[in-house]
Amino acid sequence: MSDIVQQGAAPRTVARRGLTPTRRMLQIAVGRMDFRIGFVGFVLLVGLSFLLPLISPIDPIKIAYSSKLLPPFPAEGWRWPYLLGTDQLGRDVLMRCLVGLRYSLLIGLTTVILMFIVGCSLGLYAGFRGGWVDAVIMRLTDAQLSIPMIILAITILGVSRPTVPAIILVLGLSGWPLYARVARSVALGERNRGYVLGERVLGASDLRIMVLFVAPVVLPPIAFVAVLDIARMMIFESILGFLGLGVQPPTPTFGNVIADARKYLLNAWWIATMPGLFMLVSLTCLNLMGSALERARNAVLRGEA
Amino acid sequence: MFVLSFLLRRLLQGSLIILLVIFIIFTLLRVVPGDPARLIVGGMAPDAVVAMKAKELGLDRPIPIQFLSYLSDLATGDLGTSFVRPKSGASLGGSAFDDSTREDRAKVLDLILGTLPMTLQLAALSLAIALSVAVPLGTLGGLHPGRWPDKLALGLGSICVSTPNFWLGIVLTLFLSVKLKLLPAIGYRGFSYTILPAIVLAVEIIPFILRTLTVSVAQVMREEFIQIAPIRGLTRSRTVLLHALGNAAIPLVNLLGVQLGMLLGGVLVVEFIFDYPGLGLLTINAVLQRDFPLIQGIAIFISVMFVAINILVDLIAMTIDPRLEY
Repeated sequence: MSDIVQQGAAPRTVARRGLTPTRRMLQIAVGRMDFRIGFVGFVLLVGLSFLLPLISPIDPIKIAYSSKLLPPFPAEGWRWPYLLGTDQLGRDVLMRCLVGLRYSLLIGLTTVILMFIVGCSLGLYAGFRGGWVDAVIMRLTDAQLSIPMIILAITILGVSRPTVPAIILVLGLSGWPLYARVARSVALGERNRGYVLGERVLGASDLRIMVLFVAPVVLPPIAFVAVLDIARMMIFESILGFLGLGVQPPTPTFGNVIADARKYLLNAWWIATMPGLFMLVSLTCLNLMGSALERARNAVLRGEA
Repeated sequence: MFVLSFLLRRLLQGSLIILLVIFIIFTLLRVVPGDPARLIVGGMAPDAVVAMKAKELGLDRPIPIQFLSYLSDLATGDLGTSFVRPKSGASLGGSAFDDSTREDRAKVLDLILGTLPMTLQLAALSLAIALSVAVPLGTLGGLHPGRWPDKLALGLGSICVSTPNFWLGIVLTLFLSVKLKLLPAIGYRGFSYTILPAIVLAVEIIPFILRTLTVSVAQVMREEFIQIAPIRGLTRSRTVLLHALGNAAIPLVNLLGVQLGMLLGGVLVVEFIFDYPGLGLLTINAVLQRDFPLIQGIAIFISVMFVAINILVDLIAMTIDPRLEY
């Protein structure tokens, strides 16, 4: 969320007629090769993770000793349909990855939405109102920002029970300050623009101006970059799982699967490496999309398109 | 004179932030479940012993009073005493309440200061690795937007930022230290034990430097004072090295200040995987053992560092570019 390009200074005069800045950003992003690669890969993986567990007879949790420690596809001794091999209890690694991706994505997405809502509404309000409201909210933001998110998260989850809603809440509540900062800086720039003053003259309340007129202008560019944060939150979720503070076994997540497989690293390397590789691929797709969106946003805000 | 007033203002703001952090952490640790008194004397102790311990530590007083006494201790530089860790340095004391091997508990500040040099060593090495990879590539990418260095920077950045650090740690251990026997991995018995964790940490830092640097170099190169440099008879390399890079470094310096918290998160995990005896491992163990004074102390210590580094970052940015005002 490093915002080098000043957002408030968006020159709207060069806009092509009839296209909102958001539409133009989307158009540029979709035209980029890296966005397309990321998009196709991501849709494939997500589609697979939602469809395959439905139609496949393999249960990701069920233990089957007869097929334990099968190596993955090209290696000697692999067996259909265990493409990525099986773990020490005979569970299919691929299926566990797919279920893990589902949980990871669910948590990542909801967390970012929560962060976005909390951070942007606080930031918008602070920037728009100014004065002591601004000062109080921003000092709170600074304080929150100076407690490293991960310490907060493992402290809370370590002493209470880690459930899915708790994880989402903890990650979301510790990640909002950056959004608040960005939203505030944009709102500061919008506060004295003509359309806002016009609404004021017409007698619109602060809330009405903020929600109906300022938010639709300033929020989409921030939301574009939030795609990158989904990937970041998915990594955070897996770190929590790895430390034993995430979604608890037997539900497979990337974190707890890899932590568990560490013990078998020397004689069955694939149980730990394959889920990580799977995660790396899906996150790279997501990040390619995110950074293409970010670059498109920067180009539009700079007034080049 | 200006610098003085700036420092004064920022220090005041900083102490306010730290006070807020102390308050947040303190309340948080009081409302979560888990009785520290029982934790200290051990699970098997009779209730009377638990109550005695609570009285001794002042845990039976109302929370606002506990907060005030904690604050007054803090003012004298006393971060409190660990619940669990004995002075000898072992990670756990005897577990039974009447165990004679239970010693005096270690001071929180001593524990933090004891592990800090190790973490600083790790952070410095990984920062050096990250900068030596990302600065040349990021600069090249910014100089040729849309061409192959830019694409390489984007691709490398995307892959690095998508790599889960704990997984990379495991894979590198498997290949570099188990299979190839190049580097030692677990624990700490000399400088070579720092290299592998530092590489993993560097992979986490690289994408942020790359992203910021390509954008800011590209932006600076479009500015007028760079555009007219050839007219002044300056060579291209001189323009880039002496005029562009310095200005492009400002967002990078700012980024380091903001992302410090994230960096620390990485340190935590990396130290945990490699069993590297630094501040991160201390933190994770403190959380897992519910050592409240230690968690509190570390959180406060880190937020103090955070505030100090951010002031320093702004000072550095002002030295690089005197036009900046704060």
